[in-house]
Amino acid sequence: MAPPRGRGGSGGGFSGGGFRGGRGDGGGRGRGRGFSGGRGGGGRGSAMRGGGMRGRGGGRGRGGGGMRGGSKVVVEPHRHEGVFIAKGKEDALVTKNMVPGETVYNEKKVSVQNEDGTKVEYRVWNPFRSKLAAAILGGVDDVWIKPGAKVLYLGAASGTTVSHVSDIVGPTGVVYAVEFSHRSGRDLVNMAKKRTNVIPIIEDARHPAKYRMLVGMVDVIFSDVAQPDQARILALNASYFLKAGGHFVISIKANCIDSTVPAEAVFESEVKKMVQEQLKPSEQVTLEPFERDHACVVGGYRMPKKQKIAS
Amino acid sequence: MSSLRNAIPRKAHKERAQPQARKRFGLLEKHKDYVARATAFHKKEETLRRLKEKAASRNPDEFYFGMIKSKTVDGVHRPQRKILDISFKKHKLRKKKIEKLTATLHSLDGRPSSKHVYFAEDREEAKEIRSRSSENKMASTSVDIPDYIKRKIASSYRELEARKNRANQLEKIHMDMALQKELQKKGRKRKLREDEIVCPTTKPVFKWRSERKR
Repeated sequence: MAPPRGRGGSGGGFSGGGFRGGRGDGGGRGRGRGFSGGRGGGGRGSAMRGGGMRGRGGGRGRGGGGMRGGSKVVVEPHRHEGVFIAKGKEDALVTKNMVPGETVYNEKKVSVQNEDGTKVEYRVWNPFRSKLAAAILGGVDDVWIKPGAKVLYLGAASGTTVSHVSDIVGPTGVVYAVEFSHRSGRDLVNMAKKRTNVIPIIEDARHPAKYRMLVGMVDVIFSDVAQPDQARILALNASYFLKAGGHFVISIKANCIDSTVPAEAVFESEVKKMVQEQLKPSEQVTLEPFERDHACVVGGYRMPKKQKIAS
Repeated sequence: MSSLRNAIPRKAHKERAQPQARKRFGLLEKHKDYVARATAFHKKEETLRRLKEKAASRNPDEFYFGMIKSKTVDGVHRPQRKILDISFKKHKLRKKKIEKLTATLHSLDGRPSSKHVYFAEDREEAKEIRSRSSENKMASTSVDIPDYIKRKIASSYRELEARKNRANQLEKIHMDMALQKELQKKGRKRKLREDEIVCPTTKPVFKWRSERKR
């Protein structure tokens, strides 16, 4: 095959998967290099890869591009649906950006090009700022928040985590974000303006009756309210909005509930409170390297009774 | 007149490509390419000329700071390292950089240091969960990542580690310097004995005599 030329009318006769424009190849003129110089690193798996596509513009890339063929970032799906892992200069949890080009809290963006030339943008999910991300990195089995899910988010704050949850559930899902503080609620509303699947609610989560007209039945409740009576708040909201067999994810900050006893004891007592309210916890992870004395409890609500195998 | 001429569609002249017979020379060079090549060449030429001139007109008796700030090690020229800026502003910048790096480096491959607890109703369920979780541990995530990306990740982690170390050391130096500065000020003070120190540290502890302020 002739070396690809982007110049003039000669057109680019790429053999396969060529999504590089112009002469991105960097095979310098007069050196007689063929196409062999392109695309380092084999093993093109299911992972999508992206990186810098060089167009015809930038200075006519004489003398080779800096990035020898292969892409800069590899994005692969995480165990949890809707969450991805970006590997490149960064080694990070990412979600697919619903509003390409926009960031919410100045997080890093990772842009990746598919095989068919479409561009997908991902946002890095900082576990130091999001307890849900910390829980996922902590190895929680299932967060139940997946594409198409309806989520009630209590304690949305400025909407940093909410934005990622909205990325995960996608256009077919809904996120009802409840926040009491007006100040951080303002940021939340601004964020929700750009994301059609987020419904911001500036109300006290202790009184779900006040916003019952806005919220439908949901599949998952995520609660990050950091109040001494957070188990009660969760149960109250679950009784209003959570479907039978739905799930809840609650983050517990030990200091906020009782700072005099060890964290483990606090978690235990909270779990006990949940059990009394028909919330059945299934697992608990501590958010160790990211947050101190925090735990994330995942469970189900009004789970159907397991059938005993008749012997 | 010319506008009328423009109205008539003319033949589109295509750019000439390299003839097939001369294909081995690569793409056909156009004037634009020649200009770029020539300016680059002349720039290098000029730099060389200037350096040569400088070397020729050097005064061997003159003093340069470079003489005392650099030396040759095994015949290789080694400029002296820059003095570290330990100002507060710079310190904050360093902290910020570390924060930025930790935001994108989540050490995904390492085992999480968090504690995982499962809740089961009865013995059977507990047994089931235990078998499931051990299965999960066996199936580790092994996706084929190209080597150059692996290297990139490794270097990112190395950079973060180095930055953290440096920030730690600098903080120590900063504390020492602050202490020295305080000690040089006026005011009666004394070093506490070993048994007087409330919270144990390896560093010396000083106590200032309380002074009435007006």
